Amino acid sequence: MRRTRPRTPSLCQLEEEVARDLTTRLAEWLERGGARIGQIAIARLARGFELRHVDDLACDELRTSSSPEDARALANFDDDGHFRPLKTAPNLAHGWHLLVADMAGLRLALDYFYPAMLGVRLSHLCGELVPVPLRATLGRQTGMYRVTQRITDSQADELIGRFCRSDGGCLKKILWRIADTVPIRSLPAEKFTASSAGDDWPLLCHEACNLLVAEARKVVKS
Amino acid sequence: MIAKPDSALIIVGHGSTVNPDSSLPTFEHTEELRRRELFGEVHCAFWKEEPSLRQVLHSVDCDDVYVVPNFISEGYFTRTVIPRELELTGPMTTRDGRVIKYCEPAGSHPRMTELLLHRAAAIAPGVPPEETTLFIVGHGTDLNDNSAVAAKREVERIRVRGPYAEVLNAYMEEEPRIARWHELAAQPNVIVVPFFISDGLHSYEDIPVLLGIADESPGAASAHSRDVFARNPYRVRGRNLFYASAIGTEPLFVEVILDQIAAFDAAHAPENTVLVPA
Repeated sequence: MRRTRPRTPSLCQLEEEVARDLTTRLAEWLERGGARIGQIAIARLARGFELRHVDDLACDELRTSSSPEDARALANFDDDGHFRPLKTAPNLAHGWHLLVADMAGLRLALDYFYPAMLGVRLSHLCGELVPVPLRATLGRQTGMYRVTQRITDSQADELIGRFCRSDGGCLKKILWRIADTVPIRSLPAEKFTASSAGDDWPLLCHEACNLLVAEARKVVKS
Repeated sequence: MIAKPDSALIIVGHGSTVNPDSSLPTFEHTEELRRRELFGEVHCAFWKEEPSLRQVLHSVDCDDVYVVPNFISEGYFTRTVIPRELELTGPMTTRDGRVIKYCEPAGSHPRMTELLLHRAAAIAPGVPPEETTLFIVGHGTDLNDNSAVAAKREVERIRVRGPYAEVLNAYMEEEPRIARWHELAAQPNVIVVPFFISDGLHSYEDIPVLLGIADESPGAASAHSRDVFARNPYRVRGRNLFYASAIGTEPLFVEVILDQIAAFDAAHAPENTVLVPA
C-alpha cells in the first residue's frame, strides 16, 4: 500500500495532500523544468533521459552507459580512481553519460548517484523531515563513537566548517544545528538554505552523517 | 515463493569508507531481488555508507517494510546499532502509519549450512569430500565473538551432514589459527571458505598470506585482488588447496534473505498469537 497522509500545514510546500510516490513527484519536477541534481545534468530525450556531469555539458566524447545500475560504478570512484564513500562530495567523476529508458530507471540511477536525496527532499516538502541537532546524534552513539559526546561546541563548529564545506567537502545543504540554541557559524548562510533555483533538486542534510561522527571522534581523540 | 508487491524490503549492510567491496554484496543482492520483482520496492542501507540508516526510510513508498540485516551473525550491529538508528521498538515497529518488520540477520538462517556446502563443492569440483578437509574461517577476536560462535555452529552442522572427512573451524587471530592449517588438516585436499559477509583485505590478502598462497603486499586491495580466487587449486605443503571468496558474496545469499523474511512472517503470523497453550 502506498503512503498517503495529510501534510503538516505549516511546513508543507505542496498544494494538496501528498502521496509518497517518489517516481510521480520526480516526473512532476521534470515537467516543471527540473534539470539538475548535485553535479548531474538531466536531459529529456525522445525516449528516456540522459545524465552527465554538469562540467561535461559541452563534451562530445563521453563513455556511454545504458543501465541504471551502471550509475553505482560511475558514482563509486572519483577522477583519480579513489573510492567516494560520501556520494554528495563535489568530486563526481567526469567523462561519461548515462542513458536511462524511463522514469523508474531515472529514479534508480539518481538514487545511486545521490542516495536517498530524492526521498529526503520529498519528505522535506511534505513537512516530514525532522532535523536532528548534532548533540542528539552524538548523544545516542555507543561503542567506539560514544567518545564523540566530549567534542566542544567550538571544536564541532570548526570541524563542520572544514568537513562539510561545499567546496571540497559536501554539497548538501545543512538543516540541523550543533544544538537547538547553538547554530553553525563556520559556514556561509547559503549552506543552510534548503530552497534552490527552479531547475535544481536540492541535496538536503537533516542529520550529521557517520563520516562526520567519525571525524568528531578523531578530534576528541587527538 | 514470496510475493509482496505492497511491501518494501531494506537490506542493511555495514559498508566501509575505504573499501568499496564491503558494500558490494549488499548492492548485488538488492539488485537481484529487484530483478525478481517480488517486492514493491527493494532498497539497501548502510552504517558506513549511503544511503544511511537515518536516510533510507525517506526513499520508501510502501507502508509495509521488511528490514533484513546482511550480517554474518547477530551481534552489536544487529542488536544495538540498526534498531537504534532506525528507531525500532522491537521486531515489529508501528510508526507514522508504517509497519517496520525487523528480521533476523541473513547469516543466522539454517540455510547458511547449505550455502557453505554449495560454495565448497563449487570451488573444488570433482574433489572427493571423503578425502578433503573443509575449513570455515572466521576473524576471531572478542569484537567478533558472535560470528565465531556462528562459524562454530556451521561447522557442527556440516559435520552432522557428513560429506567431508574433516570440518574444522579456524581463525585469523586466535587459536586454532588458519596459519597452522597444514598441521590441523589430515586430508590431501583442503577447502578454505571465509565466513565473512564481504570480500576485503582479510579475504584478498590476509588469509592468503596466512595460507602461504600469497606474499604480503604493502598496498590496499587492488583491482587484481579477486585473482586469488581464480588460481585453484594451489599446490602447497604437499596438499591441493582450494580457496573461496567470502561466503556473503555467494549469489544464493538472496535465498537466505528471502528465507529470513518467511521466517519472520511465520513467527509473527496473527494465528500464532492465538495459539498460546492454555
